Amino acid sequence: MILKIYRYDPEVGRKWYDSFEIKPTVGMTVLAALFEAQKMYDNSLSFRYSCRGAVCGTCAALINKVPRLPCRTQISKLLDGSLDIQLSPYPSYVEKNVEWNPEKEVLLEPLPHLPIIKDIVVDINPFLEFYKKIDPFLKVGKSEIKKQNRWEYRMDESEVLELERYTNCILCGSCFGACPVDAKNPGYFGPAALAKLYRFYIDPREKDKVSRLKLADLPDGWWACQFHANCMKVCPKGVPPNIAISKARRDLQELKEKEG
Amino acid sequence: MSMLISTPISELRSCSEPNFPEREINLHEHDAIIVGGGLAGLRAAVELGRSDINTAVVSKVLPLRSHSVAAQGGINASLGNVFGNNGKTDSWKSHAFDMIKGSDYLADQNAVELMCREAPNAVIELEHMGTVFSRLQNGKIAQRPFGGAMFPRTCYVADRTGHNLLNTLFEQTLKLGIKIYSEYFVTSLVKDGDRCIGCTAIELQTGEIHGFVSKAVLLSTGGFGRLFSRSTNSLINTGDGASLAVRVGVPLKDMEFIQFHPTTLYGTNILITEGARGEGGKLINSIGEQFMQKYAPNSVDLAPRDVVARSIEEEISAGRGFPGGYVHLDLTHLGEDKIKERLPGIRQIAMDFANVDPVKEPIPVQPGQHYSMGGVDADIGCRTVLKGLYAAGECSCISVHGANRLGGNSILETVVFGKIASKSILEDILTFPEPDRKKIEECIMNEEGRIFSILCKEEGENFFYVLEDLKKTMFDHFGVFREGNMMEKGLKKLNELKKRFLNAHFNNKSRVFNQTLIRYLELENMLILAEATALGAIKRKESRGSHTRLDYPERDDANFLKHTIARLVKGKFLIEYSPVILGLFEPREREY
Repeated sequence: MILKIYRYDPEVGRKWYDSFEIKPTVGMTVLAALFEAQKMYDNSLSFRYSCRGAVCGTCAALINKVPRLPCRTQISKLLDGSLDIQLSPYPSYVEKNVEWNPEKEVLLEPLPHLPIIKDIVVDINPFLEFYKKIDPFLKVGKSEIKKQNRWEYRMDESEVLELERYTNCILCGSCFGACPVDAKNPGYFGPAALAKLYRFYIDPREKDKVSRLKLADLPDGWWACQFHANCMKVCPKGVPPNIAISKARRDLQELKEKEG
Repeated sequence: MSMLISTPISELRSCSEPNFPEREINLHEHDAIIVGGGLAGLRAAVELGRSDINTAVVSKVLPLRSHSVAAQGGINASLGNVFGNNGKTDSWKSHAFDMIKGSDYLADQNAVELMCREAPNAVIELEHMGTVFSRLQNGKIAQRPFGGAMFPRTCYVADRTGHNLLNTLFEQTLKLGIKIYSEYFVTSLVKDGDRCIGCTAIELQTGEIHGFVSKAVLLSTGGFGRLFSRSTNSLINTGDGASLAVRVGVPLKDMEFIQFHPTTLYGTNILITEGARGEGGKLINSIGEQFMQKYAPNSVDLAPRDVVARSIEEEISAGRGFPGGYVHLDLTHLGEDKIKERLPGIRQIAMDFANVDPVKEPIPVQPGQHYSMGGVDADIGCRTVLKGLYAAGECSCISVHGANRLGGNSILETVVFGKIASKSILEDILTFPEPDRKKIEECIMNEEGRIFSILCKEEGENFFYVLEDLKKTMFDHFGVFREGNMMEKGLKKLNELKKRFLNAHFNNKSRVFNQTLIRYLELENMLILAEATALGAIKRKESRGSHTRLDYPERDDANFLKHTIARLVKGKFLIEYSPVILGLFEPREREY
């Protein structure tokens, strides 16, 4: 198997692709192959990692032109095509017209539309800025806190299950990388931030739900989404930002009708 | 194997070239510095931030990437939302009894009492901050049974408890505007006389050394599980905090007590939560027996981790495991709905990493390193012997887990003691004079020199092989079952590895995002901790909790009801002992 990796050395401003031959073991993941390449061939290779178990969201990168977690992606499944998915077209490249043979090679590139620091390591701050912009913390009224100072707020199982669909987000940035709207509009909040905003909007403990809805009532907010659904398809945790966005739009419209 | 196309520029570059232009000194001043952004660190940061203390978190990863994120099963608190089998309601005292018995009586009972009394409040606080806990039908926080516990005491968020708690606390740090230095690797603690006044760190993105001046430094860097070849831990768990502490003369405590989790996924050793057995999962050997019935007739599959891990290893060595060395964890009888609702993460892990769907077939599991009971010796207020230096969470040893931790108590410890550490810091810094920033500036220069000389090494062994051999040595010689001669051989190998490390090197001379340099520095830390672990284990001639010696199979309270204290004196470890604090429950034999 050949691991073909995008390389960028910021100290000399050079960009290139390297190909490393890796002997795949049973169940070998792309992350394991990266460590192998770093150990055997070139320890100047940079990539992020932490949990190696698809729970921390650190390692997201573009694998065969699709944003995925290298720690979760098995090489054999890439080569036999069983991971192929259909996505709406988006600029899934760092360099145009890179050739690779998907039956023999695994192509690894940085997540798109984020500044590249080195090799496949990107600066995820532009992505996190949108997350920060939506005030990602529970806002509970002061009287509420007093009332249930000693005990938990009671919550229905159904409310919990609906919330879980969105709290499962690991902020890996895969959706941001795969979104055709993000690619064209750098001001767009993006799927992850909007899903997070929706999570707080539907939290029964939240004191001012309307202001949550209105926070993204902007051309670059709820209304920029074009429902390509790439976000849901690439999410390693099955979070559906597109569904959150459509529900938020519906509620916002109802609210506006009520307000007249 | 061959490399096809590659001419990495960095290999052509040499250290003598003027690659590193003169830079301004990077100095940051805060009242409190927290090293490590997992649950313990962030809980402390939130408390300090609420008290308007100028606080900063310095972490080698974005805090959301900390290992706390991987905690699955839950957090213990005697909320009493679910009755026990006996119809009784849980209490802090029952929680404390389970922990002390679980610890094989090595835990300090005053610390256990404090943690168990604080537990309900700690969980409610997290709920108020925004964590969406799983619920009972009456809307209260759900609680599930866990190993070694008499009551269903473990609050949970499906099987993603750590992920949810870490997100909640990270959200709170953003709300409070706490400064976070992400991807900064701390390289040294700075001492001025008898106190700690800050630290130095490498900024990964630039490779520059930064100095942090602070009246208080809290270590909350997690455990050192990656010392072992088979581990559930994140790849970043290299024990950096414990190593930083021991290098400035602060002792380590009970380092030989390493928890091996019974159920880690065969192959990758990713954790399969104890909650899977809490929900009714059964361990089955190759001849179809639910073998835990033999080893723990009362608790069966929910005996404590040390007991279950040993039992699995015994089954495997008796030839009743599956080829390669594993047993089955069977969930199929729970049904698809329950698995999908309560254990969705486990199902995903089994499908992604073992190509097994637990709804249809059993999960292959084997014991693997999971938790470091030992760590930086700290008192009940998280204070170390060095003024201004504190420790909380897995990197510390206070000691609440003694010789064996019960499931659901690790994240409880992080949030309880994270908060307590911040209270100690608040109290103490009022009396501390301003630190001398010149000392930090000196240390920045020293560290610059040290890093430069590491990068300048032009030849030697590829250090990744030293790292691999270290992990293998630790697992083979200081694993689930230990024995005197085997450990002595292991210690010899460790000494050889230390020598090999001195001659090891790497080619990556880049200053930008040089992960190889970080991994080299981590290995340096790990070699120190390995020696402390080995010496503690060799000198403890008894079996207690996770420390199981074939040559000393019994617990020996007369000689070893005491904590191991390892201190680095002139480059050599000195092993001493300190008394265990009893008071609630007298040591008895453990039966499950």
